[in-house]
Parts: sequence; structure tokens; C-alpha cells
Amino acid sequence: MRRVLDVARIQTVNWPWVLAWPVGLLALILVFNIVLFGAIGDAAPPDGRTTGALMSIYFVMLVVHLQTITQMFPFALGMGVTRRTFYAGTALLVTAQAAVYGVVLAALRLVESGTGGWGVGVRFFGLPFLVQSNVFAQWLAYTVPFLAVSAIGVFMGVVFKRWGQPGVYMVSLGSAVVLGGLAVLITWQRWWPAVGSFFTSQSTLVLLTVYPLLIALVLGGAGWLAIRRATP
Amino acid sequence: MSGVSKRYGDLTALDGVSMELQENRIHGLLGRNGAGKTTVMQILTGQGFETAGTVEVFGQHPYENANVLNRVCFIKESQRYPDNFKVKHAMRAAQLLHASWDDGFARELIADFGLPADRSIKKLSRGMLSIVGVIIGLASRAPLTFFDEPYLGLDAVARQMFYDRLLADYSEHPRTVVLSTHLIDEVSDLIEHVVLIDKGRVLIDEDADALRSRAVTVTGPVAAVESFVAGRTQLHREQLGGFLRVTVSGVPERPMVGGLEFEPVSLQQLVVRTTQTNGAPVGAGNGGVR
Repeated sequence: MRRVLDVARIQTVNWPWVLAWPVGLLALILVFNIVLFGAIGDAAPPDGRTTGALMSIYFVMLVVHLQTITQMFPFALGMGVTRRTFYAGTALLVTAQAAVYGVVLAALRLVESGTGGWGVGVRFFGLPFLVQSNVFAQWLAYTVPFLAVSAIGVFMGVVFKRWGQPGVYMVSLGSAVVLGGLAVLITWQRWWPAVGSFFTSQSTLVLLTVYPLLIALVLGGAGWLAIRRATP
Repeated sequence: MSGVSKRYGDLTALDGVSMELQENRIHGLLGRNGAGKTTVMQILTGQGFETAGTVEVFGQHPYENANVLNRVCFIKESQRYPDNFKVKHAMRAAQLLHASWDDGFARELIADFGLPADRSIKKLSRGMLSIVGVIIGLASRAPLTFFDEPYLGLDAVARQMFYDRLLADYSEHPRTVVLSTHLIDEVSDLIEHVVLIDKGRVLIDEDADALRSRAVTVTGPVAAVESFVAGRTQLHREQLGGFLRVTVSGVPERPMVGGLEFEPVSLQQLVVRTTQTNGAPVGAGNGGVR
């Protein structure tokens, strides 16, 4: 267990870069949005003052943990770390990072609603489908998707390490074929209304937690199976 | 490791390799590009997988074995470091992962090699990047340390400093070191045990001193040399007019035969001649397998 912690720690020896940079980027985008919506004044109607820029921090997490595998993994193995310990340390870091970012986002969301959208009525954190009724549910809705995007990044990194560029192409192509095939099947069977009602019948909390968690677990497990025979 | 083979599809990287590392000695793992040196080290560190054979490190198989790998440091030829690391981050990370890390020694080495601790890894020159690996490998004091051609981009002065520091620290803190290199002449005073690999097979696995004393180059009139080398393993021969010059192995004594001159054979010559007799086409190597 100590070694697992050490592996998590080597990934944060330059913590300003790893932990603060994504938050800093988010802060910059937030300020930009506040200035922008302040500047255009009433040109944007109250229900049009919503921005999807929050997604950027999720994308950053995906890229960061893709690099965890492509860059940190070869280094750690050279230092005599087992794949098992490395993967466990990474899982620990990802979970802690998601939890902390969830707290940060939930807190900023409270500030946002308390200040009337940063004084200019902008909805940056409290996006309509993200808003939950209590603080814990709100935290979950922010945190769990972090787990999913990190798992996607880790999984793609592992595929690259194990099977190289062809592997990445195969997985990308494969998922495109599966998703495209599903779309064709749904269209052909005229299932779209059923699909639509399925999603609208679920609460946003379920959509933001249960399914992302499922993605995180499935890809996390698949990544583990693949990394066991990966050469750094 | 014993009878270890490694195949990548049709390519046989290792073909029945058996060798034993001696505890607390410096080993030279020699061989041409693509001979299988890196593959051997990858298998010994559990990073690569043998297709067949038996592998034991500290009495256990290294794959996913924390008992073994906790005592191992493996610095690769182009060791990858996270792009966002500065030099000091790499040192700190290595310190966290090696129980016997000596931070004072690491600082001393950083100063001696003139490495900028605050510089980003991404901005280091090729030689400086190699120095990072060399320092980590030395300061880790890992009971089993592998250096896989760690000198890429290093000038002769820095390389000599590496050899000197390795030897000095090794005599104070004995440990098992495996150094793979092409620069055989440079390390011939350093290495105590030689393993020569060619085309996935072990050609030499011997104590360096014994090895040096066993081979000799004999020069003299053709007839005299011919009668001397008859029945011995000839590694190399060249004839110039009436004179013949032959490198032979397995010569325990140097008899005073009239007209014959004996010269010691350098480790490098011995390795080159032995590899040539193995039937390798002489020319560019076929590139590393990694």
C-alpha cells in the first residue's frame, strides 16, 4: 500500500502542473466568460447566458491521464514499480483528483448562484442538466464524470502502449462501427422515440453518475487486463 | 536465466540464452545492435516476456513481483520521463521509489555533471537527458542496476566521469550492475564479467580477467605460426607476405617458440573477432529490438 501511495505521489511531484493547471485553465475561461457576458450586456437574453466551457476541464483530465500512461508508466516501470502497483496508484490519484475537483466545482456553483451568475447572470457551473437538488448530489454529478473521462484517457493510453498506433486505430474504428451500427439499427427499427423517452425518463443524476461510473469501471477493468502484458 | 527464448512473430530475438549474473559485480553486456541485449534486460526486469525458458532474479520470477522489482533500477537507452517534469522532479520521483536512494550523492552528481535541476526535462539536450538517467541509476543504489547504453549524446569527458563515479561508488556500496554498451574499450577496465550476445545467443559468459588472459595474438613466420595455432580456436588471421598474424583463444601458456611474438588481445578485439567468427555479415547492425 505504501508503494501505491508513492506511485500516486510521483505523479504529483510537480503538483502545480498536474492539479492546479486544469483549475487555472478553468478559472481563466470563467473570467473570459464573465467579461464577455458583461460586455455584451443585455444583447444575450437571460436564458441564453449559458456556456458549455465547463467541459474543458473534463477534456483536460482525459488528456492528462492519457499521458499518465504514455509518459509516467514507462518511467515508473524503469524505477522498479510493478504494473499492478502503478495501476492502483493511478486509480487512487484519479479518484482523489475527481473528488477534489467535484468539491471545487460544487463550491463554485454555490458561489455562482449566490452572486447571481457572477454579477452578470452567466451560467457557467449551474448548467440546466447539471443542477441537482442537494449539495451531495451536486458533488456526485460533477465528480463521477471525471472518473469516466479519466478512465477513457487511461484506456486509450494503455491501448497505445500495448498495441501501438494500430491498436488505437482499431479501437477508434471499432467504436465508430459499433456506434454507427447502433444508430443505423435504431433508425431502421424506428426506435428513436423509445430511446428519447428512455433518456428523458431517467433523472439527470442517474445519467450523470450511474452511466459514467459504468464506463469508468468497464474501461478501468479493460485497461487493467491490457496493461498486464504491455511493455513500457 | 536459463534456456530463454524470445520470439516476435517470425523474428527470434533470443535463442536459448542461459546466463547467470554474479552478485555484487559489474557486468558488461556486450553485443551488436539488435543482438538481444535490451531484450535480455527487459525480461530480467519483468518488462518483457520470455517465450520459453526459466528466469529467476533474486530467486524469483521478476514479472509483477514487487519483492524483486523493489530492488531493481533499469535505465534505458532513451529513458522516457514525463514531459511536465523538471530535473528535480525526476530526482524526487526516483527517490520516492528507491529505498536505498542517496540524495546527497544525487545532489553531488547533479553539481558535478553541471545539470540544471530547475530545467524542464523537455528542454534538455540529448546528452543532458542521458545524464539524468545516469544520475538516477547511480544514486538509486539499487541492489540490481541496469544501464542500457546510457551514454547517448554524452561526450567522452562525461562518459569517463560516469565510469569513474560508478566504480568509486560501487566499491563503497557493492551492488550488482549490468552495463550494456558498444564502447567496449572504454569500459574494459570497469567490467568484471563479460556476457557477449550475438544474434540472440550467448557467445561469451566469463570473468573479464580470465577472458583477457585466454586469448592472444601471435605473429611470426607463416610456418611457425601455423604449427603453433594448429588445433586451436582461431578468431582471426591476417597474412602479410611471409608473416602470419593469428588471434587464438584457449592459450593457457605462452611458450618461448623462436620467432613468435605474442601480444595481449584487448577486450574489444576479442569481442569483435568472436562476433565475426559467429558468421555475422559485417556491416551495419540490423537495429535494436525495442
